[in-house]
Amino acid sequence: MKAKILIGLIAMVLTGMTAVATPEPSTWEQPAENLAAQIAEILGPGQARLTIRNQSTLSDSAIPTIRRLIEQDLKTHGLVTSGAESANEIRLTLSENQRERLWVAEIVEGNETRVAMVEIQHSQNLTQAGSATMLLRKERLPGPDVEDSLPCFSSPDGKPPLLAVAERRHGLIILKQNCLLELDRSPSGFFDGKTFDPLASTQAQTRDPRGIIVTNLDDDGFFVFLPGTKCDGSYTISSEQDRPPGEGWSLHCHASDDPWPIVQQNGLTSISAFYNAARNYFTGVVSPSLGVDLPPFYTAALLPRASDGRALLIGGIDGKVQLVENGALKPVSGARDWGSDFAVLHPGCGAGTQIIASGSGEALSDSLRAYELPAQEAVPASAALAVDGTVTALWSAPDGKSVFAVVRSVTNEYEVDRVTATCN
Amino acid sequence: MLRQLAISCLVAALALPMTARTRPHYGGRLRVEIEGEPWQRPNGLARRLVLDGLTSMDAKGIVQPALAVEWKSENDSHRWEFRLRTDVHFHDASPLTSVAVVTALNADCSANCPWTAIQAVGASVVFTSDSPMPNLPALLASDEYLIAADAGGNIGTGPFQLSGFSNGVLALTANESCWQGRPFLDAIEIHMHRSIRDQWLDLGVGRADLVEVPAEQLRAAREQRLTVLQSQAVTLLALSVSNSGALANPDLRWAIALAIDRRSLFDVIFQKQGEVTASLLPASLTGYSFLFSVERDLNKSHEKHGGFTPPLLTMTAESGNAMQLAAQRMALNLHEAGFNVQVVAAGGARPGDLALRCLTLASNQPQAALEASLRDAGVQAPVLEQTPANLFGVERDFLQNHTLIPLLFLPRAYAIGGRVRDLQLRSDGTPLLANASLQDAP
Repeated sequence: MKAKILIGLIAMVLTGMTAVATPEPSTWEQPAENLAAQIAEILGPGQARLTIRNQSTLSDSAIPTIRRLIEQDLKTHGLVTSGAESANEIRLTLSENQRERLWVAEIVEGNETRVAMVEIQHSQNLTQAGSATMLLRKERLPGPDVEDSLPCFSSPDGKPPLLAVAERRHGLIILKQNCLLELDRSPSGFFDGKTFDPLASTQAQTRDPRGIIVTNLDDDGFFVFLPGTKCDGSYTISSEQDRPPGEGWSLHCHASDDPWPIVQQNGLTSISAFYNAARNYFTGVVSPSLGVDLPPFYTAALLPRASDGRALLIGGIDGKVQLVENGALKPVSGARDWGSDFAVLHPGCGAGTQIIASGSGEALSDSLRAYELPAQEAVPASAALAVDGTVTALWSAPDGKSVFAVVRSVTNEYEVDRVTATCN
Repeated sequence: MLRQLAISCLVAALALPMTARTRPHYGGRLRVEIEGEPWQRPNGLARRLVLDGLTSMDAKGIVQPALAVEWKSENDSHRWEFRLRTDVHFHDASPLTSVAVVTALNADCSANCPWTAIQAVGASVVFTSDSPMPNLPALLASDEYLIAADAGGNIGTGPFQLSGFSNGVLALTANESCWQGRPFLDAIEIHMHRSIRDQWLDLGVGRADLVEVPAEQLRAAREQRLTVLQSQAVTLLALSVSNSGALANPDLRWAIALAIDRRSLFDVIFQKQGEVTASLLPASLTGYSFLFSVERDLNKSHEKHGGFTPPLLTMTAESGNAMQLAAQRMALNLHEAGFNVQVVAAGGARPGDLALRCLTLASNQPQAALEASLRDAGVQAPVLEQTPANLFGVERDFLQNHTLIPLLFLPRAYAIGGRVRDLQLRSDGTPLLANASLQDAP
């Protein structure tokens, strides 16, 4: 019984860790043909023994298919694979390196061994399924996938971190450390009409870069806040699908230590906070003053409270989560396994407002989880939703119905997930 | 049995390195202990903390801009122009200029350079060569070509700057104006010449945050439940064989290659860490390394030996207990094949006929790594080939001379204390301390 439980545990762990895809047989036809041609050029028509060994991550179940393809192709060159009595031998090894699969044929004729090789690109690994079984659900935003093809992102500094994304009626604005990208949404739902602007000039360099985009109510302008830099952007809404890149788009950046808008209500900024451009946190000085000195904090969110309308929840750089309410700082318990980022969600169920918090690093993979805060204790309101990497930024959508999460994978790829709650 | 296997699998899965989810904290002093010298080449721990190169290599082996922001080649890779990043300053506040880069690279590489000439042209550095240099951007990412303001010294542009040295402790402080952003740590202390035993004791009682784990002690480290960060196999253990004097005959060198028992080195001395190899590049880079046989063939060795008894041969080994043991074991292997080999201390009056060396894999791009390894072995020719089949041909042609006999690829590893966060290893196995932070930083 214990062994069964252990095996079950292993299956659960391993299922979550890896998923290696086996390519479709059609991807093997061309390399099999190429390799057979190389072998035939060395051996010429005749007979040879063919042995295959697998030193790659390819499933052994693929070997009969590969053997069949190679044998067929060799036959077209007049080379027939035969039994052990043949003097010639073809030793095929299915190998691979970090970049590609490599099929290596050692062709043995008497005392001489010659080598032929073909390379096959690795197919992309399958992505793991999300484990949302209760309240939370995530959907990967397709827009940020397209940016790698743009010159702004391919040089000169490789792939800069993705900091934030803003949705507007006609598309997406994507903020990276050194670049801002606008994608138009076509009638079919895809994104195109890309324009971009470099942002590097006035920005303070930091190893944990952060930034926010704030769009205005009329959907024709926005502000970007980066460490030491503020940008004013505007665009004109156009129904033309083929407008030239850059048309209707303007962006002006300048050095600035203006406070960042951290809480917005009805499209207007209600609380701003000064950001330490040389570090990765807010200094604790906010505008307007909340009547109490705040410690430096990483993140903040406004919560509706029955007592006095509103309370500000802050995640301090010391790891403590506190509530600013009625001019006093109150500790919040039950938040020990929260990470540095949280945002508020208003799905309209449960208590009406949930806090979506990232994990604290106490688990093997990062996750998002909904909490309610009826008093000063955070109470889990959903199961943890696993994400495919580390959450590096988290913010609420303007309508409060969803939360956006930037997730960095172990290979430094970034994705943006829209997280919504399904009410039970 | 099934239960044991199940538990082992579960433990292995749970032992995957954890990454921090909370944002990194600024501040704190990290204490590092090492056995050797922090400035030693290649890959002395302080070098990458203080100095930057024109390019760098990311974890996937893709060359990234560093002090150069872009580069272009002309004339079939005979000429390369690297444009420098602006507003970068050395730790002494002097600006990074093309003249300073040229001076530094000339000091780094006076003879064995991939280029013929180098010159400063405005804000760019131009390399020219009689031979094509297709791998130059990748080669410039290696430890060999780091840029110092005081040519060959330690005034760099890196995330940390030298602030003191006394009683065997090198003190580094954060470079507040680092072009990549200030590091999270305020300071790093590197305590040198600490034995592995003392390093582990200090880690255990909280007097050290980062200590070394030699490949042969990885198993012991895990048994002691140390938190270990381990790289891919990045260090090539190889035997250099002189092609002059007593070993001028290529068949004798071949006989030596056939007589060495790599598997016993792997099993006994290096505790089954890394991989056995007869190739200059690891299997993960090429996929073809199995084509070079790693098996010992004493009969064929005797055959190549041809009954000829060469005079007494000398063998040197780089420092380290495991290296000395490996040299002794190989001397026994060779004795069984009819050679008389004496292990002697390195640095003697004349170089040994045989030398046990550690070569660092300079790149995880196969072409650049092969070129760097060949350069290390004294072959100064660019590797122009791109396909695995052609690279295999280059490697086979070189190894047929048996002047360098690859033996094992070994990983680099470190153990870290509980308060260290977000520490990763570079592709060359060195710790990326600029991005690390401390859990209890103020």
